[in-house]
Amino acid sequence: MLTVRNLYAYYGSVTALSGVTCHVKEGEIVALIGANGAGKSTLLNAICGLVHKRGEVTFLGQSLSGLAPEKIVELGISQVPEGRQLFAPMTVAENLELGAYLRHGRHSKARLAQDRELVFKLFPVLRERQHQQAGTMSGGEQQMLAIARALMARPRLLLLDEPSLGLAPLVVETILGTLHRLREEGVTILLVEQNARAALKVADRAYVLETGRIILSGRSQDLLADRQVTRAYLGRDYREFTEGR
Amino acid sequence: MRQPEFEAISPEELEILQLERLQSTINRAYRQVKFYRRRFEAAGLTPGDIQDLKDLARVPFTTREDLSENYPYGLFAVPLKDIVRIVSSPGTTDRPLVVGYTSQDVRLWLELLARLYTAAGVTREDIVQFILPPGLANWRRDLQAGAEYLGASVIPAATLNFAKELMVMRDYKTSVLVSTPSMAHHLLTVMNGLRVAPAELSLKRALLVAAPLTLKVREDLEQTLNLKISRAYGITEVMGPGLAFSCEENGGFHFNADHFYPEVVDPHTGIPLPPGEEGELVITTLSTMAFPLLRFRSGDKTALTLEPCSCGRTLPRLSGIRGRVDAICSVGGIKLHPDQLRACLTASLGGHTPEYRYQVVTEDGLEVLDLEVTVDEALFSDEIKALEGLCRKVRRYFQDHLGINARLTLKETGGMEPK
Repeated sequence: MLTVRNLYAYYGSVTALSGVTCHVKEGEIVALIGANGAGKSTLLNAICGLVHKRGEVTFLGQSLSGLAPEKIVELGISQVPEGRQLFAPMTVAENLELGAYLRHGRHSKARLAQDRELVFKLFPVLRERQHQQAGTMSGGEQQMLAIARALMARPRLLLLDEPSLGLAPLVVETILGTLHRLREEGVTILLVEQNARAALKVADRAYVLETGRIILSGRSQDLLADRQVTRAYLGRDYREFTEGR
Repeated sequence: MRQPEFEAISPEELEILQLERLQSTINRAYRQVKFYRRRFEAAGLTPGDIQDLKDLARVPFTTREDLSENYPYGLFAVPLKDIVRIVSSPGTTDRPLVVGYTSQDVRLWLELLARLYTAAGVTREDIVQFILPPGLANWRRDLQAGAEYLGASVIPAATLNFAKELMVMRDYKTSVLVSTPSMAHHLLTVMNGLRVAPAELSLKRALLVAAPLTLKVREDLEQTLNLKISRAYGITEVMGPGLAFSCEENGGFHFNADHFYPEVVDPHTGIPLPPGEEGELVITTLSTMAFPLLRFRSGDKTALTLEPCSCGRTLPRLSGIRGRVDAICSVGGIKLHPDQLRACLTASLGGHTPEYRYQVVTEDGLEVLDLEVTVDEALFSDEIKALEGLCRKVRRYFQDHLGINARLTLKETGGMEPK
């Protein structure tokens, strides 16, 4: 579904990604894990066209090179940004409506209403709070709203950036638990997480990023058992392993 | 098929999988193994230069000599505390080649062995008997663990005589024999001698490993015992028998290209050859953690086929192993380098190296090393007993150190006919 080849991304003169190759197949939940600053969020932003990139990204056989972010959303990729970035003074319902912004005038009101129903079914708490200001909700609820808003664009691929950030462990479990239900609704998921353990528990496969490069990849169950993952996740220096060789 | 999602993967999916695994392997090798970092630097390369599978051809080769020079742990890419298995195999020098496995590597290895057995038609209902010489300890251990992982009933290799093995095979109702071509062939001779009729056995399949299978041996076995023969190819440096396996269609060896990248190169120039052309097999690991190998020269001669097989597998195939590109020979499946042979002979004779000649011959279906040694002044004795003792000493030395059966003929000085 999504293929990334030799992707480089830069922030000014700083190289944030140096030659990343990875793929996501339809129906998969794939996690990107790694320490702070490894380049995980940059990879998501590069896919969405939010940062300057070099390399090849194809989605459903179409190249995303040079496409504006809104065009990429139209093709079926939505991002749930880190820190949720909701419109705090607006109500839950208004936030959801903005999520479907690109579909206004193109899709019937009935279809949008149907999608809102689906989102409320996934997150019943949002129905209860639809008239409440987004900024007044708890962190977990805000995260649910952020995901719900992204779903309103009817994505085929959902990019999730640190959905567990700042949330209590129990809430993290609920949020990540909904990913499997999203998959049943036909959404493919690429998930960025610093909470490697939690991410590996929900994902089918994962890539481990370190300083802009993929150093490991594999099935989640294998990576969970791998001691290098712990080290990479903690961001410790890879070279400290010689033990008198 | 054990893993159809990989064994019958589409070429496009395989390509992206190989590329991402290759890049992460190179990233790890470059960061964690000094040897590879220096090699890259000397060639003016960085990991970022490998943007395509074709770019792999820019990476320098790794040889058995490199492995020896980095003895024992120099090429390991993870801390020793992450290593759960250390395997050695004889190299081309007196230092063995050392390969490490993490627990994840061991799981991968078991899964690949299960692929091999599944392709051979072996199931958990089978009774699998191993007749493999102690010199093939690595094959013994690997194949036994794989059969157990699959869930078959395993009769491990024992050092019994063939008559006993045959009794076990008949009475325990062995359905699958795992052996070398020469030992399996020898079994026919033993059956004849003991008047055991093929109908008394329950054998359905044989997995023959470690040495090439000649057409004659295959036909003899298939016709006499009415069984299906499967084959496996592997080298100890790269996960043993997990490398490639035959299928029910018998169209060569399916190479586990989702975990190892195969190239066939011209043995002299090192230039990669197109599919179908015969050359030296070069292997790059794509998934192993403890011991990444970049462009390892196997020394085995083969050709690569990319055509999908009629069995449904799309993994590239090796056309069969057609000998060696170097001077290593195989005695009943045990690899022997000429330098190693010389070193062994010299050591067995207390430091003296006489003029000698050798060849591998077959006796009753079993391969033995035929050694002709010139009795020079240092070795000469007028007592037959002393000369017999000499022969015994050399034979025992080869058995003890290499697990190889040697036969020694003494020649007088100048008695060696030109070859």
